Amino acid sequence: MTGLLPLTARVVVGGVRDRELFIALLLPVVLYAGFIFVLRDVIDTGGMSYAQYVLPAVLVQATMVGTVNTLDRAAAEERSGFAFRLATLPIATATPLLARMLYCLLRGALALLVTVAVAYAFGFRLTGGLWGGVGFVALTLLLTLVLSLAADAAGTWRCHSNDAGQFLLLPQLLLVMLSTGMAPVSAFPDWAQPFVRHQPVSRITDALRGLATGDVDTGAVAAGLAWCLPLLVLFGAVALRLQGRQR
Amino acid sequence: MIELENLAKSYGDVHAVRDVSFAVPAGTVCALLGHNGAGKTSIVKVLATLARPTSGRALVAGYDTVRQAVQVRRSIGVTGQDAALDLRLTGRENLVLFGRLRGLRRAAARRRADELIDLFDMGHAADRPIMTYSGGMRRRIDIAAALVVAPQVLFLDEPTTGLDPRSRRDVWDLVAGLAAQNVTVLLTTQYLDEADVLSDSIVILDHGRVVASGTADELKRLVGTSVCQVTPRHAADLPRVAAALAGFPDVEVDHDNGTVTVPAADDLRVLGEVFRRLESLGIGVLDVSLRKPSLDEVFLHLTHLSATPPAVAV
Repeated sequence: MTGLLPLTARVVVGGVRDRELFIALLLPVVLYAGFIFVLRDVIDTGGMSYAQYVLPAVLVQATMVGTVNTLDRAAAEERSGFAFRLATLPIATATPLLARMLYCLLRGALALLVTVAVAYAFGFRLTGGLWGGVGFVALTLLLTLVLSLAADAAGTWRCHSNDAGQFLLLPQLLLVMLSTGMAPVSAFPDWAQPFVRHQPVSRITDALRGLATGDVDTGAVAAGLAWCLPLLVLFGAVALRLQGRQR
Repeated sequence: MIELENLAKSYGDVHAVRDVSFAVPAGTVCALLGHNGAGKTSIVKVLATLARPTSGRALVAGYDTVRQAVQVRRSIGVTGQDAALDLRLTGRENLVLFGRLRGLRRAAARRRADELIDLFDMGHAADRPIMTYSGGMRRRIDIAAALVVAPQVLFLDEPTTGLDPRSRRDVWDLVAGLAAQNVTVLLTTQYLDEADVLSDSIVILDHGRVVASGTADELKRLVGTSVCQVTPRHAADLPRVAAALAGFPDVEVDHDNGTVTVPAADDLRVLGEVFRRLESLGIGVLDVSLRKPSLDEVFLHLTHLSATPPAVAV
């Protein structure tokens, strides 16, 4: 695909130069260490260490924080006239979007790698075997892609709004706090439990935790995919449509 | 090379472009002249395959901008109103990027970037991020980026807006050089002097319509012939000057500017006569000049006229 490689390289270089990539790698490590120091003796996770328990929630939360940047980049691109110029070039309409998504996936994969490496020092272990590990990585990146597409679409659409990113982050972070990713469902008040148990972040972190240990919760994996795949198609279609030329 | 046939573009109830037709021959520079909101950028968007005409059609390099958009994109270079570059990349990296996006291989894109940096005299700044550039330097890299693969048709949307006079001059020289290389250029501008200096033909737009088109000279002729303008040293002498020039067909006294003008169709003879008569008055004179109507006057004249349809055409 003409231009995909140079356009991706361009986003990566930009991400390195404005230190966004560096912060994206640092953030989950800091979050993870912080959660463990503050919460490991507070939250009862049964037989599992909190270091093992909380890692998926950290990955999900870091992905969500990353969407602020994804959104800002898409908005800046649309605003600056750069998107305008790309649209006049003999490249496919989807190429610039694909390049930005490749960057998000690369950023997500690197953050995952760094975080898991640090987590090993805290006692986290991937014991789910090869397929468990593959599933763990694949589901994390799938979520990254879904959220990045949504952020890209939102940024392109509301390109003149300065606070759209922060605004969208709020409900996302609430979802993490009120999820079984932070604590088992029994730790939440009775009235909140039905929501906590079934909301997507809970299901996805449950699925990731199972894939990491090999004690796979197939119901959670199915629910995670049932959330991610339709949203992937939906956000993908919207993001692509917003890239459309000749409106 | 560029042809518009009854082109119209509406955004909802806003009729940005209404029934515009004109053509730009290969290797010439055409200026689209108009105020903000006259429809200039909308026309460029249609021609650059970024917008679909509501009706009518446009051909660029012989290709239809809707049905053959891919071929059009291979033939054009476009610069927008604000420099569309990646601010975090250096000038050189931007040029290489656009070369790659136009299908050049890495080595070829690098070579071409080097050439353009020399050509545009940007060597001192080529390896700094665009973010650190002045407006004029950004604009130069921006235009260079549109030329990485020599386009048949180049669109420059307000190429000198926001530039200081020197940078404006530089861009003018650049554009003049392009025309010499047989690139067809369509530029939009709000500046009459720019249209006058740069273009072979001018299309004046107002409220989405063509109100006049032709060469700068043809447009000036629309408004009237040259005039001879006398400015006495003391405004009090205006009536005496006017009296001395009595007998010319259309003597005009402008008290605001302190001038007297008479039409000067056959310039030299009128000028000689004016000198002779002033000499006999024996008063102080600041300035006697012969001037064509300015494009400013043409523009004001025509855009006022266009309040009442239809268009004047040359």
